[in-house]
Amino acid sequence: MFGKIIRNIAIAGLLASSILASPASAFERTDKGNVIVFGGRQAIPVLDPHIRYDWSTRMMQQAVYDGLVKYEGDPAEIKPWLAEKWETSEDGKTWTFHLVNNAKFHNGDPVTAEAVRYSFERGLKLNKGVAWMLKDFLAPEGITVVDDYTVQFNLKAPYTPFLSFLPWWYIVNPAEVKAHEADGDYGQKWLTDHEAGSGPFKLGRWEPNVLYEADAVPDYWKGWPQGDANRPAGVIYKIIREPAAQKAALQRGEADIVEGLTPDDYVQIKRAPGIAIEDHKGMTTFGIKFNTQKGPTADINLRKAIAYAMDYDALIQVYNGAATLETSPIPDAMKGHIDVPGIPRKDLAKAKEYLAKSAYPNGGITLPYVHVAGLEEARRIGLVLLDSLKPLNINVEIKPEQWPNMVANGSKVDTSPAMTSVYTTPVSTDPDAVAYQYHKNSWGQYFAMMFYDNPQVSEMIDKARSSSNWDERAKLYADIQTQIVADQPEVFGMLQKRRWARRDYLQGFQFSPVRFTGEVDLYPLWVKTE
Amino acid sequence: MLTFAFRKLVTLIGTMIGIAALTFLITNVAPGDPARLVAGPNATEDMVATIRTEYGLDKSLPEQFVYYMGDLFRGDLGTSIVSTQPVLEEVMRYAPATLELVFVAMALGIIVGVPLGMLSAVYKDGPLDQMTRIFSISGVALPAFWFGIVLQLLFSVDLGWLPVSGRLPLVTRPPDTVTGMLLIDSLISGRFSTFWVSLQHIILPAIVLSFPCLASILRVNRAEMIEVLQSDYIVAARAHGISSFRIVALYALKNAMLPTLAMIGLRFGWMLGSTVLVETVFDWPGVGLYAVSSALSSDFKPVVGVTLMIGFFFIVANTLVDLAYAWIDPRLRKA
Repeated sequence: MFGKIIRNIAIAGLLASSILASPASAFERTDKGNVIVFGGRQAIPVLDPHIRYDWSTRMMQQAVYDGLVKYEGDPAEIKPWLAEKWETSEDGKTWTFHLVNNAKFHNGDPVTAEAVRYSFERGLKLNKGVAWMLKDFLAPEGITVVDDYTVQFNLKAPYTPFLSFLPWWYIVNPAEVKAHEADGDYGQKWLTDHEAGSGPFKLGRWEPNVLYEADAVPDYWKGWPQGDANRPAGVIYKIIREPAAQKAALQRGEADIVEGLTPDDYVQIKRAPGIAIEDHKGMTTFGIKFNTQKGPTADINLRKAIAYAMDYDALIQVYNGAATLETSPIPDAMKGHIDVPGIPRKDLAKAKEYLAKSAYPNGGITLPYVHVAGLEEARRIGLVLLDSLKPLNINVEIKPEQWPNMVANGSKVDTSPAMTSVYTTPVSTDPDAVAYQYHKNSWGQYFAMMFYDNPQVSEMIDKARSSSNWDERAKLYADIQTQIVADQPEVFGMLQKRRWARRDYLQGFQFSPVRFTGEVDLYPLWVKTE
Repeated sequence: MLTFAFRKLVTLIGTMIGIAALTFLITNVAPGDPARLVAGPNATEDMVATIRTEYGLDKSLPEQFVYYMGDLFRGDLGTSIVSTQPVLEEVMRYAPATLELVFVAMALGIIVGVPLGMLSAVYKDGPLDQMTRIFSISGVALPAFWFGIVLQLLFSVDLGWLPVSGRLPLVTRPPDTVTGMLLIDSLISGRFSTFWVSLQHIILPAIVLSFPCLASILRVNRAEMIEVLQSDYIVAARAHGISSFRIVALYALKNAMLPTLAMIGLRFGWMLGSTVLVETVFDWPGVGLYAVSSALSSDFKPVVGVTLMIGFFFIVANTLVDLAYAWIDPRLRKA
């Protein structure tokens, strides 16, 4: 009887397979052309470019909106975009931008100086998302329309990194936004799942928690780099939350490119036919941040001891080699980076020397190491740390924590743990973006949970950000980097590589280290068909 | 009977208020600062304050609680700080997907569980009974998460029979929303191909969700069947020469089904709760997924909203089972 049942099940299975089986579908084809599918782990709750940004949100914002300028390439460079040229006044306070005159919004309205003014005013007044980048230096009244295609920014004080933030300030169509305003909300509710942009893609389907679709604008004002014949019909961003499911989707051709696989997955999938790995040196730094104000780690000698005891090679091994060691707090891809001489590497003799000078000459303490719950690599680094500190007779307690709680604890000196694993991605290519994390004004932010306090460093940072002379700035940043390393507010870890796995027919991938971890510029992508 | 129903209704409302209060408190005493999270990594103090004010998070906890309960009575579940949308709207958007999944899983559990339970009772201690025992123990013991991934690897990646995740293929547009359940909506709008693909998508998650439920239905049904089959009236029926099939399928099953029904009612609410894991593995866009992502970003109001919804269905299902019982067995009405 059982033989019969099993045989019947097998037959049913075969029948079902012949009906259900479809060849790996590769990219999606529609009557308009190829649609590229991006599998990402993170949702996009709010598209409004002035109130929210993170990697997935910005990827879609970059697809449907244009900025005055745009970051492209590796190393990242600022390219003219809506602004074809610009000039700065002698005192570094007035910036004048000349717009191209053929750019138009998706509804056909021209992109004018007034639209630029309105967009910056909106961003500043809403005081959310991108506002922090410029609000200390730019007031809404400081933006003036000179003529239809010329706009001027009058800063409160000279601020050289100004330009480096502009790629993230997207221009919205004031007419459309105003038409959808409700209770003076600057169209916030409407722009959550609609767009009023001029970018290469128009927003298509918006199914929260499922997928977001962007349809190519055939007559995009700037044209298409891959040529009209190769241009995709659109892009679908599909949320796939589990790395295992992502890998499966890529192998099955349900996604053309995915981000966020585990290091082991990348090793495995590299051998699969038809799959290519994008592996690039990024700007995301990993550090183990000390609380430099409270508890045992307020002792610089203890911090030095830990930094010299750390097994740095194991840090790279955790990523199966897909990482490089930090040689300075400022990543290599950034202007002004120097290799700081004498940055700690594993040296147990030195570690013991520093420990002897500390308040805990014989160790005998337990320090917490906090990492984001679920981040497997961060947890494994905790194990490396635990192992590294054993010779110093220091015990490490590995504590996983939900990200919101970690941020909340790190915002106050009293609750900031002795050691926290923190990944940081700078928002611009200007060295100020990293240096300012070590300024006292950054206290309260997750990347400043070491509560580092060196008035000299803060002063140098202030000076460097207002100087428009690059040689002077470069010298200041060299000193800043050296001084930070000397004070050891964290164990300077490594730069994790940015990786994506894609089908090999997906062409046009352009890496730029200034983009966030999973973020890809969708504009130049295309599908190569035989 | 009417007073019995009324009493049940009062308990239901009381329980709902209790659930709301408890969930609100638990989620709000949990550490984490949603405003800072939403404001972004580089936001300044005053930017965080802007958001706190906008969402009333600057008020004291008792004050927030009073406002929340007040809104609740007006049918307002508050606003999600992450998506900036009203929670009620979002729960309504995601609930049909979850209910559809639960209904299909429930049906699967009953269609497979009841006959298997019967068979293993009839062939007690035979090979089939041993097989179903292993089957049902693993049903209870297998973590849904792991089981889901294994099925994905087997049926989607290796065999290529079924889709990995989601409810529909990417380029298939959903049918016009009537119930929000794709299987029903696609039939209503006469789109049979859409029905077919959405059926393919629901198979794996429904199997994973139904497995533990199927196992317990099977076990309960088996146990009851064994007991009933030994009772006097069955023995009498056998003595009268009635065919075994008739005895098992008609006389015994009817009586054995009562406890199974109770089990099904309980399992319904349980299933709603366990969609959280299944929906995460299969990216099934229902309330479970919504609750998980909200909880991970300390977005409290959706968590309370979903808990209320699940609690509501749980209680309603139990009440219906109680009522059905009371209707069948008058002795219970006095209890």
